Amino acid sequence: MTWGEYFIVLGSCMVTMLACRVLPLFLLKGRSLPDAVERALGFIPSAAFAALVANDLLSPGMFAAGIWPAAMPLVASAVVVVVAWRTKSLLGCAVAGVVSYALLTLI
Amino acid sequence: MTNLKTDLQASFTAALPIVLGYVAIGVPCGILCDSIGLNALQVFAMSVLFYSGAGQFMIPNMWLAGAPIASIIASVSFVNTRQMLYSAAFAPHCIGVRKRLAFLFAATVTDESYGVNTLKFEEGGWSVRRALFVNLFSCTSWTLSCTVGVLVGNAIGIPLAIASFAMTSIFICLLCTQKANVENVVAAAVAMLGVYVFKLVGLTGPAILLGAVAGVVAALCVSQVRLARSRESAAYEARIEEACVGGEGASKKGGERE
Repeated sequence: MTWGEYFIVLGSCMVTMLACRVLPLFLLKGRSLPDAVERALGFIPSAAFAALVANDLLSPGMFAAGIWPAAMPLVASAVVVVVAWRTKSLLGCAVAGVVSYALLTLI
Repeated sequence: MTNLKTDLQASFTAALPIVLGYVAIGVPCGILCDSIGLNALQVFAMSVLFYSGAGQFMIPNMWLAGAPIASIIASVSFVNTRQMLYSAAFAPHCIGVRKRLAFLFAATVTDESYGVNTLKFEEGGWSVRRALFVNLFSCTSWTLSCTVGVLVGNAIGIPLAIASFAMTSIFICLLCTQKANVENVVAAAVAMLGVYVFKLVGLTGPAILLGAVAGVVAALCVSQVRLARSRESAAYEARIEEACVGGEGASKKGGERE
């Protein structure tokens, strides 16, 4: 990533982020958001995180190089899901994911 | 001054779990940023000015996947719109608070600090100043950890596939800690399917954004239907109650007489 690309990404992301963080607090002054908007915003985390996970794990032709190379991250993900449900800890999940992924690559 | 000291102490105790968590996630984030050629100064500035865990993981992730810049910005911004909810939730606490303090506080809210401060405000005896300190402790930890990650990036030599799975694991954890109601499950399932389908038709770059939007729209449709249904059944029950009210009233009066 060049300096130019870096400035474009940082500048744009910073502006949208600051707007999302600050504007509702000053514009609403304690009033609540419209019901439909609030519901839509509430669905974003689930949809966004699911999309990010799917992007990392799924792609057309993922089994082209054999079943195991594509199935291995899925198995490691299953381990992470169990840890996530049990502990709800970001740190625990990151460690469990990396360790199980590393161990599975040894198989 | 003693007042400031007690505020700082209370805030540090509250922020400690976040501070430690950010060290553990910030270092891998720095390593990942190093792998796409960002230097320590760039990552330091990004951590202070942008300050978003999910966002700062997404940028190197999508860059490595070959996504165009516009797609990266749109996806990261879309994921971060959830901050509007937190901002709106804190608005009542900031009434009558100095503007500069409220601005600094609002500008440094994250998923984790939102959780901790919301809990503290509910418990009572919490102020916007203390909440701001929690945010600042967290931001400091995140910024230093990311920068350290860049500096040690090359030294440790962790294979990129393994390091980037830390990020996948974090997204899985964030997904699993969402409320498991019907709408959220629909949102997640449609988003996942959407990402796959958009990749299949060649829209690999914007697949994350398009998939997530599809998930939100599907969930909104489901919630609209469920809302209409619950309104219908509520109206139905109200009608039954109305019909029964005469008889019930009479029997109650009878009970009183006895």
